[in-house]
Amino acid sequence: MNEEKKEAPKLSVKSVKEIKLPTGVLALDVSTDAKHAFASCIDGGVYAVDLISGTNDKLGEHGSYASGAALVAGSSLLVSAGYDGVLQWHDTQERKTVHKVSAHNFWSWQAAASADGKFIASVTGQYLCGGYKYEPLPEREPSVRVYETSSGKLMHSFTHVPPVQAVAFSANGKYLAAGNLMGEVRVWELSSGKQIATFTTPSFTGWGIIKGHYYTGGIYALHFMANDEELYLAGMGSTTDPAAGNGKQLWQRFQWREGRKLSETADGDSGRGLMETLAFHPSGNYFAMGGRLENGKWSLAFFDVKTGALLHSLDTKSRVTKAVFSADGLRLFTGEALGQGKPKDGKIPDFGRITIYNLA
Amino acid sequence: MFLQGLAAGATSLMSFGGLFSMPAFAAQAKREQKHCILLWLCGAPSQFETWDPKPRTAYGGPFQSISTKVPGVHISELMPKCASILDKLAIVRSMKTKQEEHFQAIDLLTRGNATRPPFVRPTLGSVLGQQLGQLNNPIPNFVLLDPCPEGNEFKEFKAGNWAGWLGAEYGPARFGGEFRPPDMDRVAGLSQSDHEAREELWKFFSKKFENDRKSAAAASHNAVFERVKGLMSCAHVFDLEKLPPKDKEHYGPGTFGLHTLMARNLVENGAPFVMVANGMPWDGHVFNHEIHQMLVPDLDRIVYQLVTDLEQRGLLEKTLVVVMGEFGRTPWLNTKRGRDHYPNAWSLALAGCGIRGGTVVGATDKLGVDVIEKPFNEQNLFATIFTALGLDPYAEYDVKDAANLPTFHRVENRAAPIREVLLNGGAA
Repeated sequence: MNEEKKEAPKLSVKSVKEIKLPTGVLALDVSTDAKHAFASCIDGGVYAVDLISGTNDKLGEHGSYASGAALVAGSSLLVSAGYDGVLQWHDTQERKTVHKVSAHNFWSWQAAASADGKFIASVTGQYLCGGYKYEPLPEREPSVRVYETSSGKLMHSFTHVPPVQAVAFSANGKYLAAGNLMGEVRVWELSSGKQIATFTTPSFTGWGIIKGHYYTGGIYALHFMANDEELYLAGMGSTTDPAAGNGKQLWQRFQWREGRKLSETADGDSGRGLMETLAFHPSGNYFAMGGRLENGKWSLAFFDVKTGALLHSLDTKSRVTKAVFSADGLRLFTGEALGQGKPKDGKIPDFGRITIYNLA
Repeated sequence: MFLQGLAAGATSLMSFGGLFSMPAFAAQAKREQKHCILLWLCGAPSQFETWDPKPRTAYGGPFQSISTKVPGVHISELMPKCASILDKLAIVRSMKTKQEEHFQAIDLLTRGNATRPPFVRPTLGSVLGQQLGQLNNPIPNFVLLDPCPEGNEFKEFKAGNWAGWLGAEYGPARFGGEFRPPDMDRVAGLSQSDHEAREELWKFFSKKFENDRKSAAAASHNAVFERVKGLMSCAHVFDLEKLPPKDKEHYGPGTFGLHTLMARNLVENGAPFVMVANGMPWDGHVFNHEIHQMLVPDLDRIVYQLVTDLEQRGLLEKTLVVVMGEFGRTPWLNTKRGRDHYPNAWSLALAGCGIRGGTVVGATDKLGVDVIEKPFNEQNLFATIFTALGLDPYAEYDVKDAANLPTFHRVENRAAPIREVLLNGGAA
């Protein structure tokens, strides 16, 4: 991570290609040669997409929404996750599903692979009424599961307060962080299996005053800095109207061991809407945050790591669910979902997208 | 605040209170008392995530369906408890109405007919409060339990005229959350005998004033006083703290469940109509599935517990339970993870008095876009409710200012009830 640079990098972002998929993309990963993308979609399908031709093959299928897609470094494996609570291992070369694990009794909200490819983590949890103000009921199964990718063996089961919606490995693979609806982040040391830190930020969670007395929002994306000591969180700022989706487009940067907030989206840089993905450029100089625009100017934006300043932004006219930089840092790939259309001539219009941006 | 809607014309019902000094008459009236509990799912729940699931279809959402006690009938996997008692519930899967904005739809589905300004049709609670109300019961004939002071369009509706041409005395008495009756206890230091003496003196002078001046305002004031006096005698049934802990475990811990438990208690104590709401939490434009993952299991437990309790207490056959919102939600998802307003094809559930359990009527197409079998609207629904409760759905309203009113009926156009869900098809 190069944080010694004094000036924010200049950034040019140009959309160069848009590939349609039948249904909304909920998770995305891209091969290191940037020739193939792997998308988990609302129809439950896990698709291998040829980024040159734009064609796709279905690798596998979940029993509900497919919500996770993570390539396993150093192998030809892709692990997908779904709202059926199942993790699936797919061989991307053989184009077949090779292993399945029933990880949760409820949705896998998100899955992540460690950078070294050894582990895959998945988070779950159903929000059930647990109090007079609809505080979440304590978990009925471990909210965090960690599996060895080579064997599919369960390595860790960690507890949290459901629903746990975001998970990330540290860059060096030593730590795992998971964040929930209530803005609580827990961090575990994987070698010992011990929880070593927890902190809570109230910024991402709204309690409905306007329409309904319950909680909405929470943390939807996590990312460790390369130094492993700092953690970025993303989601939507607190809102009192759960039906409006009009919280601030928000990221926050924390020193996670102390739970100390270092910085966050500047007021003038953000509009309103839920942010679902964080991706850091390989240079470490800037990052992308994407989601949905409710009110404002952008659904995808780039921020300077050093200063937190907004470098570039655009309105994709979609819900950006996942952003991935190419290994060489020259391109950004986004997985997106449009609104589902009404049937036309008996067919529902495609509403999934992968967009490719050239960066300079 | 809780008296909002109670502030007009004296009720003639109270003048018959003396009848209840006759024990046999009172006992018979209590035996025949019918009740209605409306679980008002304001904001409008998704039919896909409740009564009409379409799993593994383009619009079906992430949840699966489960089998129920009724062979061949499936409902959302979020409702396992209701699935286990579906033989006691009737589901209408073919509601098709025309208002797609909250306020207008709330108005339509609580009054049962389109508006015809300047005339204001009474809401269901007002009509049933008038028709089913007991003469000697201190509990208000129309109780609205809603702890949420906000609620956008529902807040606006709540501030309006519920009782319409029946007169404000048939409006709701509101409780729940911060809405609790103030000053319910006798003033400290005032003995019971002094309290009664003061009341007698007040009654004498106020009645004299009302008679001498022929004052409607005084009559209204006196009526309200009588209601408040009644409330003082039954304040305990409105106190969440006094609800049995075991029952609170079954219904709670959320506010909607606890207020449904309170509704059960009120019915046990003779309340003819109780409407339970909780703001308008079902409006899933954003996070539809994330909201329904929580609210539907909560509703599932509450409906199961209410129907089971009423049955165990011998009250189910005398109590109509209606579970509905003001419309449904779109098949197609928007970009906010949400479903928007959809009156074109939606579902509701009924149970209890006059209802044939285990019935599913109507159907939507494969994607849930349109009704393909037996569409019903708000008039059909209200005809069903009145028929189930033994009331003539087509009776003319008999109101005080009839000379200034066109002829109105409880249900206009002689719209048919949904006979499939009625015991004996609704035959008397």
